[in-house]
Order: sequence, then C-alpha cells, then structure tokens
Amino acid sequence: MSAPDFYFVNNAVFRHIHDKYGRDALIRYWTGLGRDYYAKRAALWKDQGAAGIATDWKAYFLEEPQAVVDVTMEGAAAILHVKVCPAIKHLRDSGREIVPYFCEHCDHVCSAMAGVAGFSFARSGGMGSCEQRFEPLTVEGRLLSEKGGTSHARLP
Amino acid sequence: MLGCHDFCGYYDWTFHFIRREFGEAAVQSLWADAIGQDSQRHYIELGLREGLKGLFEAWRQTGEDEQCDWTFTLDAKSNVLRWDMRKCPSKGFLLAHDLNADEDYCDHCMGWESSMLGSLGLRMIRHEHNHSGQCWGEMTLAGTEPAELTLEADIRKDPRWQTGFVERFDRHIKLPVLGQPGGQSDWVAVLAGAMAGERLVILGRGPSVRDLPSAAQSGSRLLVTGSAYASGEQWWKSPDVVLVNSPVDDTLLAGISARYSQAGSEHRPLLAYAYLPSQPPVAFPNYGLPRPVPILPALIRANLYVHDPRGPFPTTGVFLALLGAAVSNAREVHIAGIDGYAHPSGVTYAHGVGPADATWQPEHSPEVDQSALARVGAHLGSRLCFLGSGPMRDRPESQP
Repeated sequence: MSAPDFYFVNNAVFRHIHDKYGRDALIRYWTGLGRDYYAKRAALWKDQGAAGIATDWKAYFLEEPQAVVDVTMEGAAAILHVKVCPAIKHLRDSGREIVPYFCEHCDHVCSAMAGVAGFSFARSGGMGSCEQRFEPLTVEGRLLSEKGGTSHARLP
Repeated sequence: MLGCHDFCGYYDWTFHFIRREFGEAAVQSLWADAIGQDSQRHYIELGLREGLKGLFEAWRQTGEDEQCDWTFTLDAKSNVLRWDMRKCPSKGFLLAHDLNADEDYCDHCMGWESSMLGSLGLRMIRHEHNHSGQCWGEMTLAGTEPAELTLEADIRKDPRWQTGFVERFDRHIKLPVLGQPGGQSDWVAVLAGAMAGERLVILGRGPSVRDLPSAAQSGSRLLVTGSAYASGEQWWKSPDVVLVNSPVDDTLLAGISARYSQAGSEHRPLLAYAYLPSQPPVAFPNYGLPRPVPILPALIRANLYVHDPRGPFPTTGVFLALLGAAVSNAREVHIAGIDGYAHPSGVTYAHGVGPADATWQPEHSPEVDQSALARVGAHLGSRLCFLGSGPMRDRPESQP
C-alpha cells in the first residue's frame, strides 16, 4: 500500500520539529532515522556494497507512486538519478507549501545510513529532481575514488 | 528519501523520538498540530465545506483506493459518522513488519483526529481500539449527545475483537482501564499499583529460586512467569503479577486459565503479556481470562527495551526482570531463577516441571538476555539482589 498523502505528514512533521525545537533537533531526528530506524537496511548495504545499495533503492522507488528514478553503477559508486521526486511532485500537485529544507532529509537520513555501511553520501540538485551518490569510503574515512584526496568525515 | 510505502514504520519511530526527546506533551502536540492541522488541511477544508457527509464520502473513497477493510456509516438523522475497522492498514504494517518503537502507536489516531474535528465543530464521542488492528469510533456535532449506532458491522461482533488489549475514549479522553482498580488509564500505572511495596521478588523457573533468602519474602510483591503459574508451582504467597509467556500456546493458556479460575478473587494475579508484534494475536477472553496488561509501554518508557524487528527477544523471566526494573520503586528487588539453562547443578527447572530438552529456543538468545539483565542491573543499582547463575550471573551488578 502506498498513500502519497503521507508526504503531507512528512512535510508537516519537518516543519513542526524545526519551528518548535530548532534545526539541530530536526537534524538529530533525521540522523536517528537513518542510523536507528533503518539500521537493518544499512547493515545490508554494508554486507552487499554498492550493488546492494543500488538494488535496494531500485526496489524502494518502485513502491513510490509517480517516482521516476534511474539507478546506475559508476565504478564502485551507486548513483540515483531522481528525475521526478515523488514527494515533491505530490506536495506541489496538491498545492502544499513545501518547507525549504525538505530535501535535506535525504542528506541526513542517507548520510547516516551510508556512514554505517562505509559509504559517503552526496546530493546535487533538489526540489523535484536531483542526483544522489553513494561512494565507498576507505577505513580512514576517505573516498575510495580519491587518491590522497580530502578526508570525508563519517557521521557519528 | 523517506517514502510513503514504508511510512507507518518510521511514523511509529517518530513518535518515540519526540516522546523520548521532548516528553509526552510534545508527542500530543505533534499529533494535534502537525498531523491534525498542517498535514490534514485537505480534510479540514473538505469538512468545512461539506461537513460530516463530505468526510464520509472522502474516507469511503480512501478505503476503496487503499483497499482498507473497514465500514464507514453515516447516520444523517442523528449526525453520527462511524467507522468499524476490521484490519487497520497502519497498525497492520507494524504487525506485519514486527515493529514496535513507541509505547502506544494507536493513540495517535485520537491525537490528530480530535484536533482536526475540533476545527470543524465536530468531536469524537466514542472510540475503542484493541492494538491488534481492530477499532471503531463515532463522531458527531460538538455539543450533541446522540446514542450509539446499532450496526451489523460493529467490529466488536468480530472474533478478532477478542484479541489484543483495549483502550476506550469518551469525548477524546482516555478512560480508565476496564476491570482494574484505581481508575488508571495508563497501563504503566496499573502495573505499578500491582507491584507497589518495599520489596519485590521476581522468579524465573531455574534452580536458583531455591537460593532466595526467606527474609526476602517478608512483605514482598511477587512476580512469576505464566508457565510456572500454569504448572502449579507454589510460593509463600499468591503471585501479584503473572507474565504470560511469549510464545504462548493453547496448553499453557488452558493451564493458566484453570488456576486463575480456581483462585478466589483476592488471590488472582494481575496478568501481563508482551503483545510482541511478531506473535500471533491471542484471544484471552476465549480462555476465560481477562485481557492481560501490556508490558512494552513500561519497558519502552523506562528506556530499558528497544524492540528488534525479526530479532530474538528476551525470555519470559528476563522480561519480568525488565518489568520490575521499569516500574517498581521497591527498596529491594530480588531476582532468582534466571539461570540461562546453565545452572551448575545441571538441573534446568527448580521444580522439575518443564520440557526435558529445555534449551535456548530460536526466538531467544543468551546475548539478548545478558544484555537485558545488564540494563536491569544498571537501572536498579544497589537496589538489586540478583541470584541467577550461569552466564546470566556475570552481567547484573548483583549483591547476593
């Protein structure tokens, strides 16, 4: 069962936590969701690597109404090409005022999950379409794709 | 991203996060303001335009779209809009995926609906839910007192209504728990009332129950397992709380029922049960038993238990220890008979009654029990006297 009106609830919950308890609380909420609620998904990512991440997201978006998302592999990275974000589309189509930080939930939820799995997460774009990259980290917390490059700290 | 197909799972987790971080009033505010007002704006606009009839049509359509197993009834004459839910898709998602993060997921419906209805000049006048996916409610115009509808679709006529534990609401207010003294509407308070005293004794079934000093018995409250109660074990007093085992089967329920029904009312214990979402629903009234009091709300509220979906869960004795730690204010808490099937004597059960090949079942694990007992030890500190043995003895801060 998929009920897109649940996106209204997410938008409202983000606004409520942000306005009532502040931005730090909202980030703590998103990070906790990724690290704790999605712990078992993140553990699978850790076991199965980038291919597992790609498979997991393909299956996830198939359940989301009106989502148009391509999932590809680029070397050791899994890339989500979100052409139509189902949440933003439904909120817009329904005339809802979208909180300006809505897309940041992906950054914090996915970074927390990726951190558990030994990956980094980066998003470019947003508010309807974006690209999301999951890249493996070395044990020192650097991107595998970088040779002596910048350190990417893992989330706590 | 946070999708909609697995929404109910993280919705439950969200309630727990808000409750843990900001308290009970904060979760009520989340339900009333964020859910009942902001997110439900479409229903508020519809209700303002078309009243109860508009809500009736919308929810009936939602039911068809989402294949909800429910009946909506509008009695236009008395202005009563009623639902009878046979299989709640929201709670059903949690049950199907073995999820139980918050202490009471079902309460959120009253939390947001009362707020939304208030904006429409309406109110919920009656509601009950059984935490197993069945519920009903009636809403009407504020300030009116129409009689309850009599319907063939009344969910209380459905055999599934006999499962779970029931909460009742009258005009948005949660009513006292049925059949319990003290007029408490909070399950944790009901358990605390049954366990109130200077000394608490928690007994598993292992041989170390024999090590319990007689001084511990004086003026104590006694908690035992359902299997010990059913097998006819005798103690120095009638138990105050009996925790029905998980898993439970017909034989065990029949045994508990036989002893419970034979006991005089003053010797009947408070029955408790974990209602783990992974376990099949049990219709306790069909065995002549009252619906047991749930223990997970107390354990979750005390931060002593995090439900592990599809993972092993504590044995019944360890659940009792967690319950005692979560609820009791006793000066001394004595725990004995939790030996992890590894008592030095080689004996498994103190009273020799139990399966001959008793060992760790797949739904349990020594690690889960040890970890839980460590939390019990940390929580109770110097109040704890732990008399268990084997691998269990190493973990709690015991003071025999």
